[in-house]
Amino acid sequence: MPKNLKGKDIADIIPDKCIGCQICIGECPTKAIEMVGGVAKIDPELCIGCGKCVDVCPANCILFEKPRKKKAAVAQKPALAEYKGVAVFVETHDGRAADVSWELMGKARELAEKLGVQVLGFLPGVSTEAIAKEAIAYGCDVVYVMDNPLLKMYLPKVYGKALVQLCNEVKPEIVLIGATPLGRDVSSVVATIIETGLTADCTGLDIDKEQRLLMMTRPTFGGNIMATILCRNHRPQMSTVRPMVMKMPKKDPARRGEIRMVEFEGYTDPLPSIIDFIPRASDVGEVDIARVPVLVVIGKGACNSQYFPMLEGLAHLLGGTVACSRPVVQAGFLPYVRQVGQTGKTVAPKLYIGVAVSGAVQHLVGMQGSERIIAINTDRHAPMMQIADYPIIGDYAQVVPQLIEGIKARVPTLKAGSAKL
Amino acid sequence: MHIVCCIKQVPDTTQVKIDPETNTLIRSGVESICNPYDVVAVEAAVKLVEKYSGKITVITMGPPQADSALRECLSIGATDAVLLSDRAFAGADTLATSHTLASAVKKLSETEPVDLIICGKQAIDGDTAQTGPGVATRLGYNQFTYVSEILKVDAAKNTITVRREIEGGCQVIEGSLPALLSVELELGAPRYATLPELVRSLRQEVKVWGAKELGVPAETLGLKGSPTSVKQIFAPAPRKGGAPFDAAANKEQAVQGFLDTIFKNDSAILAEVLKSENKG
Ligand SMILES: Cc1cc2nc3c(=O)[nH]c(=O)nc-3n(C[C@H](O)[C@H](O)[C@H](O)COP(=O)(O)OP(=O)(O)OC[C@H]3O[C@@H](n4cnc5c(N)ncnc54)[C@H](O)[C@@H]3O)c2cc1C
Ligand SMILES: Cc1cc2nc3c(=O)[nH]c(=O)nc-3n(C[C@H](O)[C@H](O)[C@H](O)COP(=O)(O)OP(=O)(O)OC[C@H]3O[C@@H](n4cnc5c(N)ncnc54)[C@H](O)[C@@H]3O)c2cc1C
Repeated sequence: MPKNLKGKDIADIIPDKCIGCQICIGECPTKAIEMVGGVAKIDPELCIGCGKCVDVCPANCILFEKPRKKKAAVAQKPALAEYKGVAVFVETHDGRAADVSWELMGKARELAEKLGVQVLGFLPGVSTEAIAKEAIAYGCDVVYVMDNPLLKMYLPKVYGKALVQLCNEVKPEIVLIGATPLGRDVSSVVATIIETGLTADCTGLDIDKEQRLLMMTRPTFGGNIMATILCRNHRPQMSTVRPMVMKMPKKDPARRGEIRMVEFEGYTDPLPSIIDFIPRASDVGEVDIARVPVLVVIGKGACNSQYFPMLEGLAHLLGGTVACSRPVVQAGFLPYVRQVGQTGKTVAPKLYIGVAVSGAVQHLVGMQGSERIIAINTDRHAPMMQIADYPIIGDYAQVVPQLIEGIKARVPTLKAGSAKL
Repeated sequence: MHIVCCIKQVPDTTQVKIDPETNTLIRSGVESICNPYDVVAVEAAVKLVEKYSGKITVITMGPPQADSALRECLSIGATDAVLLSDRAFAGADTLATSHTLASAVKKLSETEPVDLIICGKQAIDGDTAQTGPGVATRLGYNQFTYVSEILKVDAAKNTITVRREIEGGCQVIEGSLPALLSVELELGAPRYATLPELVRSLRQEVKVWGAKELGVPAETLGLKGSPTSVKQIFAPAPRKGGAPFDAAANKEQAVQGFLDTIFKNDSAILAEVLKSENKG
């Protein structure tokens, strides 16, 4: 245990484990910690050995062994106990709910059961009756519908106000929102007005039963590290969740639930005007790669138009479609909607077949949830080959034709190109 | 027009690697850079000022060494720079960060009213994309996220028209100033700094403001003003791969071996996949 000149036991930071979050700096009562070269550093002469930094460091990178009194668990503030229920924001586009809202409904059921509370739906929009019924079929107990012409088109200020009103009136303890462009846009507006915590882009949610807290886990640093985040003293606990991460629940049209209408307070300030919406040309008639059970994912090493029909043939043979890594999009070979990864789509197909994809972290974060991974690569050391359930070492131009033949031989009912997507 | 760009200094996450033995982050040798989306924001501001005249103030909240990120922005065309640095700001989540940034914009507006704030879509370390909307909401500005093109600024009507990339396509939207944009990389890479600009960027004074200068109570800032707390971090559990089939040595044998294994071990998955295929 290191001591300073005054003979005090002091804390010490392991620079390699520090992520530079600066939480310890905010906690240190004697201003003994500073950022040096991207990591925290403790000034031994200012350190009083109180150990507060050790308690808050999420990376466990502070060495300090002096025995300390364990902080007694603080009882939940009574004001927080007023908040009950797990709410899901039901996102709609042109009279259809976003799939992620139903995925969240399934997750909300699971969380609500652990907490012994109801699943609530927040549904602002116009003519949403059918969607409200669908919400119940997907597991919602009470749907709060706000039907108002102002809510026909999404604008952050208006939707923000509508959701704030719902949160204030209904007082849910948890609010889940899909991490779609719209969901990420509106969630921060709501959290800022209510002044509560918002955790972005979660991939895991669970309940700490003892403290009755939502544990929100999310990737950060470009997918290199996972962080578990809590919102202890503010309600609701808000989180956006990536599409395709939570399982789609079964729809039960016979399920019973309640629909309650809430009058929108309205919005009177001048608003931006939407001048135009241009569907992305490459999106028209495109499949959503996130919803296809088999993906043949083309990497930079297979970015060759000569072999494209063959790879597409493999995908179609298995009832799937093609997707790709970022360089393939950058080369103009496939449209952006086909990109898998951090800045593309998160996918979790039954079969992911990576053809000459090296497996950079930014790619891996978008496909690690795949049920089975097959990788074809000349380089046996490529990261993708390390995580693949079935790594095949070799040149794809040689391997894929063999593969197509082999599959056809095993499943005689299949003909290449028979399935169109 | 007066444009404020919010920029963040971040570790270059593309260089961050995981130590396979200990499953921890290897940080040594990882450079600090200006968030790539934010340099695009500065470039967008420079183009606007070239077209409509005005000035650009870059601001960042961070430790003293974030000074270098501000100077990088000065070298590519920003007019002024303010470093928001104070222990009281440390450990902020996005609610506290947007509070600090919004307070700084208010202070800047006292001397020169701000017309436009440009942020990056997201920071490559925290990755939340929540700061921009937070700042806009606190200031009551119109917010336009995911902007891929700035189409027009109409000084007479005091409006801005932008193109946004959203689900299924792009939206053209017009709203009044002041407004906040968060920008996509597609907006265009920054220019290279010229030598005179580089020299200026190194010599110019960068103002430093703390909680006192912003006139906000310390309880609303940094760790104290943050409702979220990071409880724990860990490396993502690596997926354990299977044994390789070496087609480089013998392609027929390897592919047959692979098919034998997958049809045996994962027959359920294959049956499901092939069933859904036969339906279509
Ligand atoms: C901020 C940021 C965000 C990013 N977001 C994404 C993202 O969303 N999605 C994404 O994919 N990337 C993303 N990237 C890029 C990422 O870092 C990688 O550069 C990219 O994923 C690499 O693509 P690749 O595997 O196709 O190409 P490479 O890394 O070049 O790999 C090509 C592979 O093909 C193999 N190969 C070559 N020839 C053959 C052959 N004949 N037969 C078999 N194998 C062969 C090689 O051994 C190699 O492993 C991002 C990067 C940054 C900085
Ligand atoms: C592991 C980890 C996980 C975290 N998770 C969360 C979370 O889920 N929720 C949460 O509220 N906070 C979270 N934080 C805290 C968050 O990273 C900080 O609040 C940070 O200051 C801003 O968030 P960001 O990095 O996500 O930026 P983003 O919101 O992604 O940044 C968008 C834009 O805002 C501007 N901007 C962002 N930060 C600054 C700045 N310091 N100075 C000037 N401009 C800036 C830039 O223009 C940037 O491009 C987390 C921190 C860590 C270390």
